This record gives sequence, structure tokens and C-alpha cells, in this order.
Amino acid sequence: MEQLVRFDPGLIFWTWVTFFVVLAILARKAWGPMIDALEKREAGIKAALAAADRAKAQAQEATVQYEQQLQDGRREAQQLVADARTIAEQLRGDLEKDARRQAEELLASARAQIAADRDRALRDIQATVVDLSVEIAGKVVERNLSTADNRKLAEDTLSRIGKA
Amino acid sequence: MAVEEHSQDIGSIILHHVSNSDVLVQLPPLFGLDISITKHVLMLWLAGAVVTAGFLLGSRRYRTQENPVPSGFSNFLEFIVDFVHNQIVIPHIGPAHARSWSPLILTFFTLIVTANLLGLVPLFDLIPGGGTATANLNVTASLAAITFFAIIVAGSRVHGVFGHWRNMAPPGIAWPVLFILIPIELLSMFVRPFALTMRLAANMTAGHIAMLAILAPIFLMANAWIGLGSVALNVGISFLEIIVSLVQAYVFSLLSAVFIGAAINPQH
Repeated sequence: MEQLVRFDPGLIFWTWVTFFVVLAILARKAWGPMIDALEKREAGIKAALAAADRAKAQAQEATVQYEQQLQDGRREAQQLVADARTIAEQLRGDLEKDARRQAEELLASARAQIAADRDRALRDIQATVVDLSVEIAGKVVERNLSTADNRKLAEDTLSRIGKA
Repeated sequence: MAVEEHSQDIGSIILHHVSNSDVLVQLPPLFGLDISITKHVLMLWLAGAVVTAGFLLGSRRYRTQENPVPSGFSNFLEFIVDFVHNQIVIPHIGPAHARSWSPLILTFFTLIVTANLLGLVPLFDLIPGGGTATANLNVTASLAAITFFAIIVAGSRVHGVFGHWRNMAPPGIAWPVLFILIPIELLSMFVRPFALTMRLAANMTAGHIAMLAILAPIFLMANAWIGLGSVALNVGISFLEIIVSLVQAYVFSLLSAVFIGAAINPQH
């Protein structure tokens, strides 16, 4: 049994040598770089996750804003269309009113013109008739001024013309 | 009569199997110490060589690439490093000091687990003597001594040399308690590495003794049929031994980390 618990300084020495040689080589060449890579990757993943969260929040915010803008736009467009319709109807009413007024004015001026023309024509006719009657009268007077029948004739003529 | 003779033989065979060999290569003494090569020295060197070569080969891309992506073997190595760093060192020593102590704990874990598993390979039994270096108390005591000094170094680096020793007694306790506390703390300082030493060596020895004892009846009874049962049982125990090899390496590394962490954060 004593061989199991035999003190062996050589083995102790070599255990330490082996241990520290392995530790010295691997700490510098393997474990340092591997732990660095692990920590870097972990930090990278954390940063990427945080960035993804931020991006998600931004996207959600952007969606809300976009929807808000869309609603605003839709409302504005509806408002615009409604305004345009109101304006158009107002314009149509105004135009109609104007057109009617103009037509009425035109009609009135035409009527006035016609009336004036007729009056002038009548006046011309009357003047012509008077001239003719004076001429006729002159001619009648020239022939027999004294004859009572002639005079009567002239008066009859005049009165006829006057009626006409 | 024959059975009794055999049983004594078997006993010595088993002891021989779990013990170190006699000197294989005689070396001149160093400072009066015999540093000749025995089988356990060879097995330890082999374990060290396997660990060093494996990690040097598997970590090449970590030394050359900016953002290495592991694959295959290096993935396996990264799993080990990640496990020790993130599951053992960071929780027990703390993230602030993890970077300084991870290499030590990683060396404990990889070297012990490799030596444990190499001890399970029957091929090395062709050399006389036992194959498991970590079953030798001298090896485990040397490793535990490293933990012992690492605890003192860790505590002194963070709290100063005096600060480390003062941390043995929590501040604000009544002075008579110190008469009990200080001897207990001093005792525990030595009990901890002693427990590490015994636990690893005993676990590594026990499995081999059990396996050999189970094989022994074949020769004691001189009956090959017993081999059916013995071999079947030993196959099962071999699987158990693989688990024990991993668990004991884990326990040694974990407790070393816990003790170092306790010296760094004494209030916990």
C-alpha cells in the first residue's frame, strides 16, 4: 500500500514544469486569443441585438408617423376635394347668375333699341307724311284754293294719314 | 490454497497497476532531488503535449483572423474555453478578474481531463506501472499546491499582502471570536488543497481498482465464462469512468475558481 502514498519529489517537480509550460504556451497562444474572440463576439452580438432593438423601435415609430402622415394626407385631400367642389359650385352659380344677367341686359337693350328704332321710323314716316301732305296741299292749293271740295279732300287725306 | 496464492498475486497486481512505475529513465539529480522519468511523468508529459498541440492547432484562426468563426475541432475547443470562462471563472471569480484567472483554470481543466482520459486507455498499460498520472497523490498535491498559492496571490493582488490575511476575519466581529476563527481559517487554508488532492487521486484510483477487481475472478477461478460478466460490467464501468474523469476535472477547476474567487471577494 505504501507505494500508493510514496513521496516522489521528481514527480512533483515535473508536474509543476509541465503545468507551467502548458500554461505559459497556451495562455499566450491559444486561450488569450480565444477568450478575446469570445468576448469580442459576445460584445458584437450584444451590440447587434441593441442595434436591432433600436432599429425596430425606429421602424415602429416611422410606421406610426407614416400612418399619421397618410391619415393627414387623406384628410387634407378630402378637404381639398370638398373645398374645390364648394368653390366650383359657387363659381357655377356665379357664372349662371352673370350669364342670366347679361342675357337680360342684352334683351333689355335689344328691346330698347327696337323701341327706339320703331319710334324713329314712326317719326320719319310722320315727317314724310306731313311733307307729302304739305306738298299735296300745295299742289291742291295751287290748282283751286277756293274750291271747298278740294279743301275737304285735303283734310280727309290728312286725317287718313294721321290714323295710319 | 491456489486461490489464496492467486488472491495475493491479484492484490499486488492491482496495486502495481494503479501505482507509479519504477524509474524508466535515470536523470542526474537536480538540487539533490531525484527527477528521473517515471511512467506518471511520461503520462503527464503526454497529457501536456496533447493539450498544447491540440489547442495550438485548433486556435490558429484565433491568432490570424480578426473575427474568427470556429468550425469542427476549433468549435469543440471554443466550447471548452467558453465553458470554463463563462460557467466557472466568471460566476465564481467575477468578470473583473476573469481575464487574469481563466488561463490558470483552463490549464487545470484541460490538463486534468486529458490525464484522466489518457489513464483510461489500456494501450499505455504495455508500459509497466499505472497509466493515470492524476491518480498519483504527488501529481494532485502539486496541482493543489498551485491552487493554494494562487489563492494567496489572488487575495494579495486585490487587497494587498496584509489585506489578504486580514480578510480571514470579517470586520466588526467580537475579538474573542478571533481565537476560534483564526485557527479555523488557517486550518481551512490547508484543508482545501488537501481535499482537492485526495478527491482527484482517490477518484482516479478507485475506478481502476474496481475494474481490476471485477476482472480478477476470471483468473482466481480460472474460468473464462466469468469473463462474460466481468467484461460486460467493466464496459459499463468504463463509461462511468469517462464521466468521472470529466466530473473530477470539472470539480477540481470549479473549486479552485471558487477558492480564488473567495480570496478576491471575501465578503461573499
